[in-house]
Amino acid sequence: MNHTFPPSVIAEIQERASLGRYAIRGLGARRAVPSFDDLLLLTASASRYPLEGYRERCETRTVLGARNASEPVVLDIPITIAGMSFGALSAAAKDALGRAASEVGTSTTTGDGGMTPEERASSKTLVYQCLPSRYGFDPDDLRQADAVEVVLGQGAKPGGGGMLLGQKVGPRVARMRTLPEGIDQRSASRHPDWTGPDDLAIKILELREATDWRIPVYVKVGATRTEHDVKLAIAAGADVVVVDGMQGGTAATQDAFIEHTGIPTLAAVRLAADAIAEVGADVQLIVSGGIRSGADVAKALALGADAVSIGVGALIALGCNDSGHPDETGAKVDVTADYRRLGVAPGDCSACHTGACPVGIATQDDLLSRRLDPGLGATRVANYLRSLAMETTMLARACGKSDVHRLEPEDLVALTVEAAAMARVPLAGTSWIPGQPV
Amino acid sequence: MCGIVGLHLKDDGLGGRLGELLAGMLAQVRERGPDSAGVGVYGPVRTIGAERGSAGPTPGGLGVAPQTDATGLTVLKGVGDPVALAEEFGLAGMSGHQAVGHTRMATESAVTTEGSHPFSPRPGLCLVHNGSFANHATVRRALEAEGVVFETDNDSEVAARFVGHRLDLGDDLEKALRLVCDVFDGFYTLLVTTDSEFAVVRDAVACKPAIIAETDRWVAMVSEYRALVGLPGFENARVFEPGPEEVHLWKR
Amino acid sequence: MEALTLTGEVREINRALRALPDGAAATVADPRGRHNLAVGLDAEVKVTIDGPAGYYIGGLGKKADITVNGPVGWGVGENLMSGRVHVKGDASQSAAATARGGLVVVDGNASLRAAISLKGATLAVGGSVGAYCGFMAQAGTILVGGDAGDGLGDSLYEAVVYVAGRIASLGTDARIEELTETDVKTVRDLVKTCGFDHIDPENVTKVASARTLYHFDTQNHDAY
Repeated sequence: MNHTFPPSVIAEIQERASLGRYAIRGLGARRAVPSFDDLLLLTASASRYPLEGYRERCETRTVLGARNASEPVVLDIPITIAGMSFGALSAAAKDALGRAASEVGTSTTTGDGGMTPEERASSKTLVYQCLPSRYGFDPDDLRQADAVEVVLGQGAKPGGGGMLLGQKVGPRVARMRTLPEGIDQRSASRHPDWTGPDDLAIKILELREATDWRIPVYVKVGATRTEHDVKLAIAAGADVVVVDGMQGGTAATQDAFIEHTGIPTLAAVRLAADAIAEVGADVQLIVSGGIRSGADVAKALALGADAVSIGVGALIALGCNDSGHPDETGAKVDVTADYRRLGVAPGDCSACHTGACPVGIATQDDLLSRRLDPGLGATRVANYLRSLAMETTMLARACGKSDVHRLEPEDLVALTVEAAAMARVPLAGTSWIPGQPV
Repeated sequence: MCGIVGLHLKDDGLGGRLGELLAGMLAQVRERGPDSAGVGVYGPVRTIGAERGSAGPTPGGLGVAPQTDATGLTVLKGVGDPVALAEEFGLAGMSGHQAVGHTRMATESAVTTEGSHPFSPRPGLCLVHNGSFANHATVRRALEAEGVVFETDNDSEVAARFVGHRLDLGDDLEKALRLVCDVFDGFYTLLVTTDSEFAVVRDAVACKPAIIAETDRWVAMVSEYRALVGLPGFENARVFEPGPEEVHLWKR
Repeated sequence: MEALTLTGEVREINRALRALPDGAAATVADPRGRHNLAVGLDAEVKVTIDGPAGYYIGGLGKKADITVNGPVGWGVGENLMSGRVHVKGDASQSAAATARGGLVVVDGNASLRAAISLKGATLAVGGSVGAYCGFMAQAGTILVGGDAGDGLGDSLYEAVVYVAGRIASLGTDARIEELTETDVKTVRDLVKTCGFDHIDPENVTKVASARTLYHFDTQNHDAY
């Protein structure tokens, strides 16, 4: 095994040699980093008693942004759907996600392209992003939103702007984004009318004025200098801070950015939660970046998050990386050949940037988009979200908690020294937290 | 991230109002930096120990005793609300020929009195900064290698000591500030003063605000326009924004 | 209808402005450089801001006709959808940032990054503009009655800039093009609307995108 030049690295170098530019792809960081898998929950024992499922209540209701907004966001479960653009995703995909979220009582988030009427109609609670590009940003949409999320960055590429390759800049996307059709979109990485938290404070006030102080303001950052960023976001007026770890997904970003920027979600959660606690503000924390299971949700909440946000996981539930898609009768149509044409295989595809998504999710092509039935897709995503919520409450009950938000760091131990240091919980079997005074 | 205000008097007749005018300006940039504040007031040269010199008691709320150096520059800084601090400093009653003020929203270093601006690494030299440097760690190490000693881990202190070091080596203030533009990456508006000079410079991208106003009686520099409106004769001021990497300097 | 005079906190002023019906008029007295005045309006109202104003004046607006009797701060008319914002003074940075429709007129000068990310609106500046005017401007029209600073039209998409005075330097992918009859007519109409008699529509320099950065290509790595 050649660790320095394994087959994957050889392929990457060959790709750059052939393309003459950086390699671009979708999804998040692939490589192994310390994650929630390195933490374990300490459930019931002789000194801690579990709650029964079903009869003995474990509350999941989550309220976000009550600090300033006259209409805070109220969710039935602490699991939301992260910002992903119409443009990156097909209209059918956005529709399905909206329906699923509405069905289980949670929110979806627009993306770097603006709000589509389909998503506003299907999503009961919709968070409207305000990004550096401001593509499609519209005060009417802002007024219809349930929250506004000022985006400084995302985990896949903190400091990088949005990207959509020409093959996905079709007529509708081009119109919404005020771009010529077919160009390779290169978004700004900084906002056009403010830079820095002192001027962000004024911008947040503008957004509040435009919505008559009705809705919460979220501020989203990719996880880098998380402690400073969270404190500054709060100082600038954020009601909710969203922190996206390095495992966070994208539909098109340079591989060098995805793999080599930002810190793992595990490290970011603890930093963010501690920063909020230190400031002592009534500000909630949403974390994202590689959340896959109810175990991940429970661990994130235990470390101090108020909710998590899911991107890639929701798409996989929808059909991403599935070898086939259902036809009108519900029978599965195999599309492995389409994956192979992209040089990938089902289960190992991150070719969102090509727009040739074999299951109709990350595409603008009409024919491919039809492979995704929003109703069937919504059912699958709703099933996934509900099962995540059930797993989370199962684990919380096993820790004796009547509310998932009562999970605490003391419910956790770590399997590795790195995870123990990042999460600031003891290494299993010891009382040692690396870096903390004894 | 922060708010900056500065006032350089051309008309000594306004000297008695210097502190009052600066206090008014400072209050208008309070929201930009609610964590801490500081002022540098260039007053008459005093013997050390007189009035609120270093021998005086420390007013409540201030972390360090006010320092007045041999050039007559008094630096007062502390943690807390800027308007309250200005009152504790007795700013409104201070007089002199030039003053700078700063309100701070801390970025990468702690909110402490020592970390507050202005930084005065050299008698008569004052620096206040709005923005954040991107490569100050490297510049700090280079200065340390030349024997410069730092007091905090604050990025603005690096810029202050860089300028001070250049002045020690014989550069004039304008040259030192041009070198700042060459050496430092980041987004920054700097207001840098000596006992006789008042200078403003911004980085090449100039994303942090800076507005300069000038009349025949004074020159002022602020982060937000509203900090200027209370100055005497402002209706007739020439108001402009310095461009990227331009050094604007006034000398008594 | 008699014009309403408004004072007080920004939030109360904006509430009162938003409550005005089509055809109403109001004056904001004593703005004192405060931010976010007349933000998010959505009616055919006439608003006068009687003094210097701060950031985002008239931002996120639709249909309204706003006049400022004084200078403004950053982002005047930002993301404007329709209507007009007229500044009888100078504008600070990012004037008409990302504005999608309507007209922003600045009688004086505009500083850095005027019309950054413009998305279809028109910005007309009687005086000069600072550096990076029209940065990443996607659509719309920019008219400069005086000079333009460095980096004019950097990363321009389909927006067009007309400059009456000198241009310090062009930005990446920006180039000077010949004026067509349509251009002259556009400028003439705009000059008339704004009262910018000092601009000769036949004697402006047209700057547009060279469109060489529309597709990622290693040949352009220096440009990035």
